[in-house]
Amino acid sequence: MNLKSKTKEAIAGYIFALPIILSILIFTIYPVFAGLYYSFTNYQPTEVQKFRMRFVPEEAMMIHTGIFLNEGDVSHEDVAAVFDPVDFVLYDVGVKLNDKQIEAVRKYLDCEELIEDFLAGNLRKEMSVADFMKKYMKAKSNLFKSYVPDFIGLSNFKKMLKDEYFWISLKNAFVYSGVVVPVQTLLAVLLAVAANMKIRGRKFFKVIFFLPSISSSAAISMIFWLIYSKPGVLNRLLSYVGLQPVDWLNNPSTALGAIMVLNVWTTAGYFMITFLAGLQGIPRSIYEAAEIDGARFWTRFWRITFPLLRPQILFVSTMGIIGCMQVFDQIYFLIKNMRNITISYYIYKNAFEYHNMGYASAIAMVLFLIILVITSIQRKIVKEEAYF
Amino acid sequence: MRNLVIFLVVLLFGVSVMGMVEVKISGWPGNPIEEGVIKSIVEKFNETHPDIHVEWAPIPGDFRQMLITQFSAGTAPDIFYVDTFWFEELARQNMLLPLDLFITKDKFDIDDFYSSLVDAFTYKGRIYGIPKDFSTLALYYNKEIFDKYGVAYPTSNDTWFDFLDKALQLKRKGMETPLVLAADFNRVIPFIIAANGRLVTDDLNTGIIESNSRFALKFYLDLVNKYKVAQEPANLGAGWIGEAFGKGAVAMAMTGPWTLGYIRGQYPDIVAKTGIVELPHLINKATMVYAVSWSINRNTKNREAAWEVVKFLTNEGQKMFVEGAGVLASRKSIATSDTDPMKKAFYDGATYAIPWRVPTPSGIFSKANDQINSKLKDLFYEKITLDQALNEIAENYLSWVSE
Repeated sequence: MNLKSKTKEAIAGYIFALPIILSILIFTIYPVFAGLYYSFTNYQPTEVQKFRMRFVPEEAMMIHTGIFLNEGDVSHEDVAAVFDPVDFVLYDVGVKLNDKQIEAVRKYLDCEELIEDFLAGNLRKEMSVADFMKKYMKAKSNLFKSYVPDFIGLSNFKKMLKDEYFWISLKNAFVYSGVVVPVQTLLAVLLAVAANMKIRGRKFFKVIFFLPSISSSAAISMIFWLIYSKPGVLNRLLSYVGLQPVDWLNNPSTALGAIMVLNVWTTAGYFMITFLAGLQGIPRSIYEAAEIDGARFWTRFWRITFPLLRPQILFVSTMGIIGCMQVFDQIYFLIKNMRNITISYYIYKNAFEYHNMGYASAIAMVLFLIILVITSIQRKIVKEEAYF
Repeated sequence: MRNLVIFLVVLLFGVSVMGMVEVKISGWPGNPIEEGVIKSIVEKFNETHPDIHVEWAPIPGDFRQMLITQFSAGTAPDIFYVDTFWFEELARQNMLLPLDLFITKDKFDIDDFYSSLVDAFTYKGRIYGIPKDFSTLALYYNKEIFDKYGVAYPTSNDTWFDFLDKALQLKRKGMETPLVLAADFNRVIPFIIAANGRLVTDDLNTGIIESNSRFALKFYLDLVNKYKVAQEPANLGAGWIGEAFGKGAVAMAMTGPWTLGYIRGQYPDIVAKTGIVELPHLINKATMVYAVSWSINRNTKNREAAWEVVKFLTNEGQKMFVEGAGVLASRKSIATSDTDPMKKAFYDGATYAIPWRVPTPSGIFSKANDQINSKLKDLFYEKITLDQALNEIAENYLSWVSE
């Protein structure tokens, strides 16, 4: 082969990058578009297998007609009298069909031949539903090849408008982000400044602050369940100052707040690391100049540190909003009341508990758009600039 | 020489495995005792059936979701547990193999099973599962606490008012929380039925907004809010009702036989102090029956072998289960030989119990169940009034149960 060295290099480069390109295509790009497609359909994962399912046609015929071949002579008319093609396919072959398919079965299923074969004992072999339909449909057997969800246009999106729990969970996600993002960002900055000061044992503090973010969220949820439960630690402490115990996680008006505190605690340490990196990039000379001019600690913090951390603040608040709008695990572990769920938990419920995969995909698309809009507005307001 | 022996052993093993049909069975692990029994049943089956090899592959966590996901991917087990609560959903999705032909061909003694349990796994006239065992609800009470406060024990003939009276006596004599209650719709159902209410109307709309059901709901909530004799398990430092009872935090709890297995394992010293009677009644006697079946995956590759396994599991398997795990037998022949005195109230309840399966137009009740439970939770904490809750349920019920 006489390729130019530049082409060769490019090919080598793509080969090196191939694993990551493939994994992004398969696990990121494809799901995004599949989700978009499903959001306009009534996709049902349980039906994916329906035409691949294997069955014994003779058994289905016997269950359907109640006629057993070993019981003596059965005539074609006996079977035909009790045979209903649509019921047979729906309940005894056992596939869900849409209206078009039902119509096709009614018109084109070859009952004559099917009953002949049944009486001749030719149906004993196990076969797949698709093969069976191919054999016995006089026409339109291509409708029964594989599962294609029905395209239902905007119905999923229209349904959302009237869905009380869509709005409740969306509102909760907004309230949650609205509180958690500013608090966790500010706390992370303060922790970073503290960890950046020359005090004894700061490595120890850094580790302590960072620890929650690398712990398993299931474990953390369990610990907080112990803290928040009615006979738990928090209520014990509150009782010393004479407050009545509250069941923090079960009480609909405190549950979300309790989760917010938990989340701030887990993520602040993680974002602290980002700010630490930012702080270390701020030249000492600026602080020295300010000190000479007589600026105190808080003045230096608000006038120098905070503005110079803008790129990190943008990053942290963007990641924070994305994370908070999608908060799932702590809600899944700790929240029992539908009134306090967030939108991604509601997506999960629809997809895996109510079997509305299409509707769940539609909500996921809406959530995606919301996050996209918020983060792009945010980028407009807080310009990403470097100062030095 | 040693190498040769190893080689022969491996060869023999390989040959014996090749001729075997693999059948994977699955369910939730349950408590350690239960799982131990299942494992020994599987072992026994494998010993007695050289041509079939059964593997027990439990799914911890959310069983139903995992099962449906596996089914969609075509990797679901051959045989699995199905709960009455979501049975119809799976049957409608064509996930289960109808067993009628096997039953007729093999002359399987389906009549030996309690008919209400077989009905619970029947859809459109076809049987989609053989009941593995069942549970009913009964009233557990702690004799020591009743003795301490000098209150008469509950009996199987108690009405709601006797029951409330005993709880109030305990409360008056200094017991902070005599009773543990959950904000769970299925636990309210026995009260609704006892008050002659109904769950659904003839056209499959909700019946819990009707006056009899409303009266039952009000009584249930009054136990918590008005008389203050009951609390949720979480408020008693327990994860669930059985734990609250086992810890001795309450004097009474309405729960199923699984709690008996649990306290025998976790709180053995409380077992001797425990009495179990039927639930209090009003107009009717009522309790819930929760049943689980062994059902066969419609997409299985080994239907004949799977049926062999189901037959074993629901006969010899059930005997071992009833003896080992303390569950209730779904076969009448095994139930009559079950003489555990602690289980009497549960078997007595079986005669009038109703299955935990609320009929809906779509076959799916889980969404409505979530919504109603959410309202119950609000009611337990007095966030809304009963009328508000019932109005909201009346308005939205049909949208919760249709697709």
